[in-house]
Amino acid sequence: MKDFPPAAAAARFGPHLPMLLLAIVLIGIGTVPANANPPEESLGDRLDRVESNLERLIGLLADALGGTLGEDVKGELQSLAAELKTIRRQASRVEGPAPEAEAVPEVEAFPEEEAMVVAEVVAAPDAPGVSAGLFGGSMPMSGYMEMHVNHDGLNPTTLDFHRFVLNLGHMFGDRVRFWSELELEHGLVEGGAPTGELELEQAYLDFLIDPRFNFRAGILLTPVGIINERHEPTAFHGVERPFVDEVILPTTWFAGGGGFVGDLGGGLSYKTYVMSSMDGSLFSAEEGFRDGRQKSFLENARNLAWVGRVEYGPLPGLNLGTSFWTGETGFQFRDLDARLRVFEFDGRYRFDRFEARGQFALTHLDQAAEVNASIRRTAGINPNIARGMRGFYLEGSSSLVPSGSSHDVVGFYRYENFDTQYRMPEGFFPLSQFDRSAHILGLSYFPHPDVVLKLDYNVMKNASRVVRARNRWNLGIGWWF
Amino acid sequence: MNDRMIQWSLALLLIGLGAALVTAVPEEKKKGEPKVQKVRISAERFHFIPSRIRVKRGTLLEIELSSQDTFHGFRIPRADVDVTIPARGQGKVKIRFRSRKAGSYPFECSRPCGAGHTMMRGTIVVE
Repeated sequence: MKDFPPAAAAARFGPHLPMLLLAIVLIGIGTVPANANPPEESLGDRLDRVESNLERLIGLLADALGGTLGEDVKGELQSLAAELKTIRRQASRVEGPAPEAEAVPEVEAFPEEEAMVVAEVVAAPDAPGVSAGLFGGSMPMSGYMEMHVNHDGLNPTTLDFHRFVLNLGHMFGDRVRFWSELELEHGLVEGGAPTGELELEQAYLDFLIDPRFNFRAGILLTPVGIINERHEPTAFHGVERPFVDEVILPTTWFAGGGGFVGDLGGGLSYKTYVMSSMDGSLFSAEEGFRDGRQKSFLENARNLAWVGRVEYGPLPGLNLGTSFWTGETGFQFRDLDARLRVFEFDGRYRFDRFEARGQFALTHLDQAAEVNASIRRTAGINPNIARGMRGFYLEGSSSLVPSGSSHDVVGFYRYENFDTQYRMPEGFFPLSQFDRSAHILGLSYFPHPDVVLKLDYNVMKNASRVVRARNRWNLGIGWWF
Repeated sequence: MNDRMIQWSLALLLIGLGAALVTAVPEEKKKGEPKVQKVRISAERFHFIPSRIRVKRGTLLEIELSSQDTFHGFRIPRADVDVTIPARGQGKVKIRFRSRKAGSYPFECSRPCGAGHTMMRGTIVVE
């Protein structure tokens, strides 16, 4: 850089001294001490002003010198600009959240006091504070538990620790994440005995590529219906899950596979996976496809299923969803093309203290007669599997205590209709006791938003004149953390 | 011009100057006040609505967060923000965000909330 001797400069700028003095005054205004500025003005703003004034000075000088600047003057001005940048960096260390800013170079714009991101809790009376959750850097553990008492007037009243579930997750950097769900059902697992189950219901990796397009692989929940992916006891009313979500859509429905997940914006999101299919040799008349889940245990991967789900949430509280699953299920038998198709749509809407939700599900099994015949040949019994199953429910609920209360009591009513013998293959007749409906009336008491005590009464009906449906009541406690 | 006219002229001049000062000060203040954009985000297993927010560079973004179900977290990794969103009916959280640098600022749920937690995300786009 060239020298800029004061004497030479004076000789050169002499005729333009008044203009220079004006420029110096302008710079002076920009660099007055902090206490001369309004108290809310940050150092960053003052530096902005200095920069602006420097630019004006360059303009004035250029004007004064007939539109051109000498190389020496330009060099000096560049030197001043560089020095200003240094001062800005130093100021950011003094004023801003320095460690964050230094750790994340992309947010160098933040250190200025007014450009910083600030968080303020304005109304959170029971908020448990800042979370050190999954992406806070720690290894989180969450889970849910539920214990039920069931009474149906025929069988002995039972007390069952139905589910003990632990979730573990981990973050491998910003773009790879792990999530899992390990579940112990019915409190006891004993070799060979008909007791509970220990299940790995989820264990997958998410590879984050773009909000609209991400890859997921591992043991996955089949994205079908409301409950299968939202089955925490505090997420639905009633001690037991809806019947439709047990016998038509076999929750918890999970399998190994992989696919894509994305949020398209505007409340529209999707999931699409290729997963292992269902085992048609284990289907039944009463519980439909429930026993056909392979549950990630040495799954047959020769015939894969495809599932897709789209959800649309145009407004807070409103969610609409639809799912489609299709897979070949006759792989245990020769020359059988027993493709199963499951179609479902659902909706939820919350407004103030009210909530409504509903779901409809329909299934179709190709070559159902051949599946029945194949099972009869191998097991010696006719399972009377249907060609089609159908189920739906509608539920309304309302909070019964004033809003803003730390406790909540919700009353609900749900009507369900479900038939696992809805359409039979030619030569097979429906068993009318499996054409069922239920009226469920109950209360959910939330002493804490994540803890619930439930009580409900079920009026059960079926189309049979011989087999009587049994009403039942259920009592339960559940929590999520 | 008689005295009365002079007095009236002076009075009008003073009123005019006063009015100019009164109107000029707020105008000056308005220029200094930050632009504010307000948005409400609803959190629910397993998404934020809306999940994409656009804001002009330098504009102060006020985000009001509430939940439709359980407790959620709201974390902006590039901005050192991590707060808990109270469960439904338990209150709201307000975040103020401003960036003078254009770019994408992803946000995500930081409190495990279930099967879709890892993908419960959104983006603030600073233009």
